[in-house]
Amino acid sequence: MEIEIISFGKISEFINNQKLSIDVESTDDLKTHLEKIFPQLVGMKYKLALNKNIVQHNCAIKDNDSIAIMPPFSGG
Amino acid sequence: MSEKKIKNIFVNGPVSPEFIANSIGNHNTKTDIGGHSIFLGQVRNDEIDGKIVSAIAYTAFEDLALTKMHEIREEIFAKYPLSCMHIHHSLGVIGAGEICLFVFTSSKHRKPAIEACNELVERIKSELPIWGKEIFADETHQWKENI
Repeated sequence: MEIEIISFGKISEFINNQKLSIDVESTDDLKTHLEKIFPQLVGMKYKLALNKNIVQHNCAIKDNDSIAIMPPFSGG
Repeated sequence: MSEKKIKNIFVNGPVSPEFIANSIGNHNTKTDIGGHSIFLGQVRNDEIDGKIVSAIAYTAFEDLALTKMHEIREEIFAKYPLSCMHIHHSLGVIGAGEICLFVFTSSKHRKPAIEACNELVERIKSELPIWGKEIFADETHQWKENI
């Protein structure tokens, strides 16, 4: 399946916005895969948003979902 | 009381002192208000490892930030008896000394305005997907972290 990846803050410096062909069932699964593809994520604090909702617990992922990868917020 | 429409909080560039003054002036017809509380965030020229921050470049996940801000706005209106709440956050490059956040609450008596303003600032900093990149005079940068 294909998912859309968007990234922000310092993570956007090493992960470009892109479509990713990947077979994962859940957001926990996806994290494991992302950390293999982008080893800079390992040990970093980050949150995912699935289709513009912040992921609090493991969620199922479907084809064409959009995933945002977000480092800690620093507004204000 | 509760506002259903999602409001935009983002402005490109700094929040100008004139904008803030006009915003205060716009309340002169709301004569049931007895107290306003205002927080202004200003870009500080921090020194980090011998280098001075000359500006902060702000970016946001705007859709998510506006949805989250809407939830926070509703919760704060439900918690405090406020007459008004206005929030403006900058995007783009904001120089040291310029205003990047303007939070403005008003109520009949001072306490709800003051407490709601404080709570809003804390929640904006911790819950909205906004990122600040601190730019040094030599054009290198580091990503800001909220404490």
